[in-house]
Order: sequence, then structure tokens, then C-alpha cells
Amino acid sequence: MIDTRSNPAARRPFAGLRTWWMMLVISLEERLAYRGDFVLGTLMRFLPIVTQLFLWTAVFSATSRPDIAGYSRNDIVAYYLLTMVTRAFSSMPGLSGGIARSVRDGSVKKYLVQPIDYVSFLLASRIAHKLVYYIVAALPFAGVFFLCRHFFPPIPDALTIASFLLALVLSFLLGFFLEATLGMLGFWFLEVSSIVFAYMLVQYLLSGHMFPLDMLSGIGTGIPGLSLADVVRWLPFEYTAYFPAAIWLGKVQGAQLVRSLVIEGCWVVVMAVACRIAWWRGTRRYSAFGG
Amino acid sequence: MNRYATIFATFARACLVRDMTFRTNFLLECVTSLGWMSMNLAFYLLVFTFTAEIGRGTGWTREPFFAFVATGLIINSIVQALFIPSAEELTEMVRTGGLDGVLVQPLDAQFLLSMHRIDFSAFANGLVGVGLLAWALQSIDHAPHFVAWLLYPLLIFCGVAILYSLVIMLAAATIWMGRNQSLYDFWFYLTNFSRYPAEIYSGPWGSPLRALCTFVIPILLVVNVPARVIAQPLEGQGWGMILAAVIAAAASLLISRMVFQSAISRYRSASS
Amino acid sequence: MHNSNGSGDTPSLTSSQFAATNTPLIAVEGLAKEYRVYDKPEGLFASVSGLFRRTSRLVPALRGVNLTVGRGEFVALLGPNGAGKTTFLKLLSGIITPTRGTASVLGHVPWERADDFRRRFALVMGQRNQLWWDLPAAESFRLHKEIYRIETARFERTRDELVDMLDVRKLLLQPVRELSLGERMKLELVAALLHEPEVLFLDEPTIGLDVVAQHTLHRFLSHVQTERQMTVLLTTHYMKDVAALCQRVVVITHGDILYDGSLEQIVDRFTTHKIVTLDLDHEPSQERMERFGFPCEIRGPQAILRIDRSRIADVLPEILRSETVRDISVEDVPLEEIVASLFRSEAESHAREGV
Repeated sequence: MIDTRSNPAARRPFAGLRTWWMMLVISLEERLAYRGDFVLGTLMRFLPIVTQLFLWTAVFSATSRPDIAGYSRNDIVAYYLLTMVTRAFSSMPGLSGGIARSVRDGSVKKYLVQPIDYVSFLLASRIAHKLVYYIVAALPFAGVFFLCRHFFPPIPDALTIASFLLALVLSFLLGFFLEATLGMLGFWFLEVSSIVFAYMLVQYLLSGHMFPLDMLSGIGTGIPGLSLADVVRWLPFEYTAYFPAAIWLGKVQGAQLVRSLVIEGCWVVVMAVACRIAWWRGTRRYSAFGG
Repeated sequence: MNRYATIFATFARACLVRDMTFRTNFLLECVTSLGWMSMNLAFYLLVFTFTAEIGRGTGWTREPFFAFVATGLIINSIVQALFIPSAEELTEMVRTGGLDGVLVQPLDAQFLLSMHRIDFSAFANGLVGVGLLAWALQSIDHAPHFVAWLLYPLLIFCGVAILYSLVIMLAAATIWMGRNQSLYDFWFYLTNFSRYPAEIYSGPWGSPLRALCTFVIPILLVVNVPARVIAQPLEGQGWGMILAAVIAAAASLLISRMVFQSAISRYRSASS
Repeated sequence: MHNSNGSGDTPSLTSSQFAATNTPLIAVEGLAKEYRVYDKPEGLFASVSGLFRRTSRLVPALRGVNLTVGRGEFVALLGPNGAGKTTFLKLLSGIITPTRGTASVLGHVPWERADDFRRRFALVMGQRNQLWWDLPAAESFRLHKEIYRIETARFERTRDELVDMLDVRKLLLQPVRELSLGERMKLELVAALLHEPEVLFLDEPTIGLDVVAQHTLHRFLSHVQTERQMTVLLTTHYMKDVAALCQRVVVITHGDILYDGSLEQIVDRFTTHKIVTLDLDHEPSQERMERFGFPCEIRGPQAILRIDRSRIADVLPEILRSETVRDISVEDVPLEEIVASLFRSEAESHAREGV
């Protein structure tokens, strides 16, 4: 990741790690410089859930059903809170836009000339930024979850927790490679923003951000026995919000859980490869045009 | 005053010309806002497959609820089009010191800073709102009383006035703090509470919240009052709310102006 | 503020009334401005503790200045960056309020921002636009007409006159953001003068401009000021602006006025020596020349000496007697040098005081 030819100091052991550590410290300082902002900002992200809480309470009070698609009122609130955690892992603000922009204004050139792997660099810096975010947001998150503990079912067993954590890590990688690949489209298209917008729109609806995807099981696709929920399970979107939350709440278990984890893993691999290919083809095309 | 109308017309004309010059961008912005709106409509349709009404006995069944949503679209699109673009530019103006140039001119600073830029693409949502309203109203068994038709535009205006005051307060906060804050985040969080009928806020936590958002920061009066007037039969208690909306609109405008004037009198100006 | 016809306090006076009663157009007394600056934390530990407590200091931008300017004067505020010149202008144009002191411009207190006041002056800031970025200049001017309530016939006459003077007619229909810095500055000046202000504040107007543009600006300002009898206050850190435009110079450093007077008097006030250039018929030796003046620079057959003023009358004849001089010239220390050393000595004394 670091050019070791022109900089002998970089050959020292853990040089890459040291750079990464510096990145971490600097972004932590940057975050803390905004004082009031981050505590308030983090807490404010929970506000829309308050509205959803009241909405679903009102829906339940008007209907005589005990649950909707297997979710009680409390389950739905717990679900929203858990999707916040997932999205803290899988959302990549500014990633695709940043890549597209660096292609557009030519700053991507320095990654073509020096033996720095752009994708690894981006991944490493994202990890640093995310870690900082978790450190800084841990307290507000813990506070909110503690206050809302009565919405949650009892803490699941160790295996479920392990699957939850695995799904989270995979959702981070999936989110990263999805957006990075989108950004790479900047090598072919001048205005990537419309493509990114279309992706965001579909993701908004199908990731489970707005509602538990199990609710789509009542909607048919025209093919008997195949509901919309079944189709969505094969798409990568649900793994960026819905899936880990559903694991924790026990909505996905046993064989289905393993199947979904495998699908998620496959999507990570597919997108990682797609990203790599897009980078390789894109830089070839870029150099051909003289940059 | 006539002068302000002429000046506003000049700004509006310039923004329209610019939008038409960058036509593809303009269309893209329209499609973007329509896209987000359709996702939300799809969500509401999904919710109504599980229940016939939002909240027991509130009267918000499917068609009235969509009339509510339509009213929200109309009011929000007016605010998004006329006031938000200028407010967003304000953070940049405070940072670069462009605000200095505004304070030196013999014109009301609040007017200049909140109305010099218009985003015509935001009207797209409002137009859809009008269509949605028409569809919803004709599906409701009872037609709105003609008094309701008179009150509706007035209450829409009150809703816009309350939201405008909120924009001005946020602008004042930006000027006072002198930092590059994202106005839009605050805006989103505040207005998020008014997305659904006020009746959903009930119970030991909900009722105080509802009172707070009705009488202290009256965002719940913005969409609820006109929507109720047009989509639900006029009953006795409706009149209290209508009066509250009008008073809240007037009070908000006055208070926000005072806060704004106070902010610009303490203006620090970016150092050179 | 005294009015000699005995009508007591008037909220504002017209320019002719100012001239008649000899009241200064701009009167500043003890004007001071302090800013509270929060210290930025350095390092991780400070960042964390910065969450709970932040240290701050009171930074004085202006330390209680006094100034009077009469009608029709062209005054330059000269000083290095951070001296407080721009703060001073912002106070006089009402953009910020002072910590202490009073000021009166055209009979108004600037920071009360009365519309009557704002209609009578103009502010032009270098590198910062007041023109509407997206509009073509012609539209901006029309907007200006509405905002300042300029009557149509007068507006058109003034506009045409200014536009032709600066030769910017072909630029009027382009959006302002597409123009170069020099072109934008010219249009800013047109906009500023459309409402025929009585007072013009200019904040570093030549910054970032090339030599030609600077020259055009100087000529334009000179002409317009004399023609319209405007009172002009110009801040700059370039000597060139000052030399080209005004008689009166106010030197500001570190928030204080160091000097207020004419340009020539700066030389008398702040220099002790003159520069004597000797053209000899052969290269002189250093020690020989240093008998006459120190420091001494030898360039071939030329010697450049610095000789104390009071001794010039004695030293010059001695030089002429003992050396073969082909040519001799006696000059003042260049203005730039005087001012630069002024700034420097101020900075040093402030550093010593730990301010």
C-alpha cells in the first residue's frame, strides 16, 4: 500500500499500519473538534425512529392483529434500532461520489502513477473512519439501547450473536464494495450521480431501512408460491440493513440463516471482484485517454 | 411594499432562466424528488394492507390519510422551492463573508437572505400533491363543505408561515454560531415529526410530545389543520385548532423575526 | 455632535451641511473591537479535554482609535495584514458593532444600520463579491436600482457614464461568475457608484489584480473622486495605491494608529538619513567610503551611501573635495522601505511586550 522504493523508511515493519494509525488519530481529532455536534448529531439520528414508533403503535391500535408479518409492536421498534446498528456498518457516505469526483478532476492520477493500491487505500481509510465513529458514537448508542431495553426480546444465544456479528462485518464489506464499484463507473460515465441516486432509491425501499422485509411476504409476484420477500432475499440490498437485525430478533434461523449468510458472503465476493475489474478496466481506459 | 415585489420578481426570473438553461439538471432534480416521494407512497400503501385506519377512531382511513400526505406535499414543496435554497446558501455566505455585502445594503436582510434563490424543481412534488389530493377527495364519501374550501388555502398559508419561521430561526442560529453547519439536517429532523397525523402521538409519552409540537414548536399545526379541514367532516373542536393555526402562524413570524434581528446585530463577520 | 446653527442634535446631515458647518463627515473616538477566540486543541488528549472545557482569549483587533475625516478627503489606511484596517472599515460601514467607543459617519451611528445611512455610502471589498453571482451584471445593476431607489433617468445616465469610463459594456450580459477578477472588480465599482454615494469605503481593492488593472483602477478612482467630491477611505497594504491616490495616509499596525498625516511628512518623521549615490571614476574601497556614510554599498564605480540628514551639509562638500565625482544624487529613503520598517519595528515591540 505504501511506495517502498522511493521511501526506505516505508520499508520498516508495520509502516502501513503506522500510517493507518495516524489516519485514525487524525480523524478522531477531527471528530472531537466538533464538540457538541457529534453527541447531538448522533442522538438526532434516532429521532425518526420515535416517529415510526408512534406510527406503528397507532397501526396496531386500529387493528385487532397480534402481530404483523410476525412482528409485534415491540419487535418493530427493536428492529428499527437494530437497523441503525447495521447501517452504522454498511453505510458509506461520500464513497461513490468521492471516487467519481477524483476521476473527474484527475486526482485519481496519483494512484495510477504510484504503486499504491487505490481500493485497499480506500478500504483502510474507511475502516479508520468507521472505528472512530464507533468510538465516538458508542456512548450515545449504548444510552439509547439501554433506555429502550424493554422493547427487545431476551438476549439470544452465543451462536446467534456470533452470526449477528459475522453478518455485520459482511455488511460493512458489502456496503463498501457496492458503493466503490458504483464510484468506479465514473471512468465511463461523466454523471454518476443519477446512477447512484437510482441505487439509493432501490436500497431505501428494499434494504429494510423503512420496514421489516418480512412484510413483503404477503405481496405476490405473479408466480405462485413466490412472494416479493422471497425475491428480495436473493438481492444484496437486504444485507445492508435488514439481515443482521432479523438474526438478532430470531426472525431468521437454522438452515435459512446459514443460506442467507452464504448468499451475503457470495455477494461480498461478487462485488469485490466487480470492483477490482472495474478499477482495472477503468484505469486502462483512463490511461488510454491521456488523463 | 412594491419595491420588494419587484426585487423578488427579478430573483425569480433569474432563477427560472438558470433552471431552464441547465434543463437536464432541472429534470433530474424533479425526478429525484418524485422518486423519494413514490417510495414513501409505496410504504404507506403497504401499511394500509395491514390496517384500515391509522389510530383507532381517528378518521384517518386510507383516502383521508392520502389527502393528509397530499397536503404535506403541497406545503413542503412551497417551502423547499421558495425558502430552503436561500437558507442553504446562507451557511456558505457566513463562511466566505458574503453576508457583509448584504448587511451594507438598504434592504431588509431577512428578506434578502431568505428569498433570493428559488428552486423550481421542488414544485414537482407539490404538483403531484395536488393530483393526489384530487384523487383522495373524490374517493371520500362526503365532499368537503364549501367553507372548508375557503379555509384550506388560508391554512396552507399558515402552515407555510410556520415552516418559514422555523427556517428563519435556523438561519439566525447559523449566523449567530458563525459556523458551517448543515441546516438541512436540522430541518429534516424537525419536520419529520409532522409527517403523520398528530393523533399518532398519544399515551404517556405521546401526549406531552404532541402538546410540545403543537403549542411550543407548532409543527404539528402545519399539515394537520388544513388536512383535517379538507378530508374530515368539520366538527366543533376543529375550530379551536383552526384558530390555533392562525395565531401560531402570526406569533411564529413575529418571534422568528425578533430572533433574526438579534442574530444580525451580534454578527461577528469572518475576520480578514 | 455640534451644529453651529444651534438646532441641536440632528439625526443626519446632508453633505453640504457638513461642508457649511465644518463638521467632520467621519468622526471616530476611542473605537475598539475585541474578539473572543477559542484555542484549538493540539493533539489527542487536548481534543478530548476540549469537549468539556475550552480556553479562550480576548484578541484586540482595534485598540481605541481616533480619526476625523472631512468631506471630499481621500484617505488611505495603510497597514500590514491583521493590523485592524478591515475591522475598522467594517465598524464604519455598520457590519459589526464595537466593543467600546463611538463613531459617526454622515451623522449616523453606522451599526444602527439605518436605511437612510446605507443609501448614502458604498462598500467595495477586494476579492469578495457583492454582485449576485448567477446574474449577469446588467441584472445586478437593475436590482441595485430597485434596492437603492434610484430614479430611472438618473440611473441610466450614471450607469452609462461609469460603464463607458471603465469600458465594460461588452461584459454586462455575461453571468458574473464567468468573468476574471479584474473584470469583476470593475463591475463592482460601477455597481457601488450607481447610487452616487457620498462616502466610499474600499477594502483592499487592488489585491490579486495585475499591474494594468491596478493602474486602471487608480485612474478611475482618482477621476471619480475629484469629479464627485466623494469622501473615500481605502485600506491597503500596497504603497503603490497610496502614492497614486491620496495625500493623507493613516498608518495602522496592531490595532493602533501609528501615524496620520501626509505622505511627504512620513519621510521627515520616520527617517533619519538620506541616500546618496556617487558615480566615481574608479571603484572605491569600502573603508574609504565608510568614512562618509554607513552602511555603504559598492557597485563597480558606484557607491551608495546612507548619510545622516543633519550631517549632509557637512559631508557632501567633503566628498566632493576628496573624491573625483562624476555624478551625485541625494534621495529620500523609498516610501516602501520606511513603511516596511515601521511595520517591522511595531511587530518587534509588540512581540517583546508579549501581546
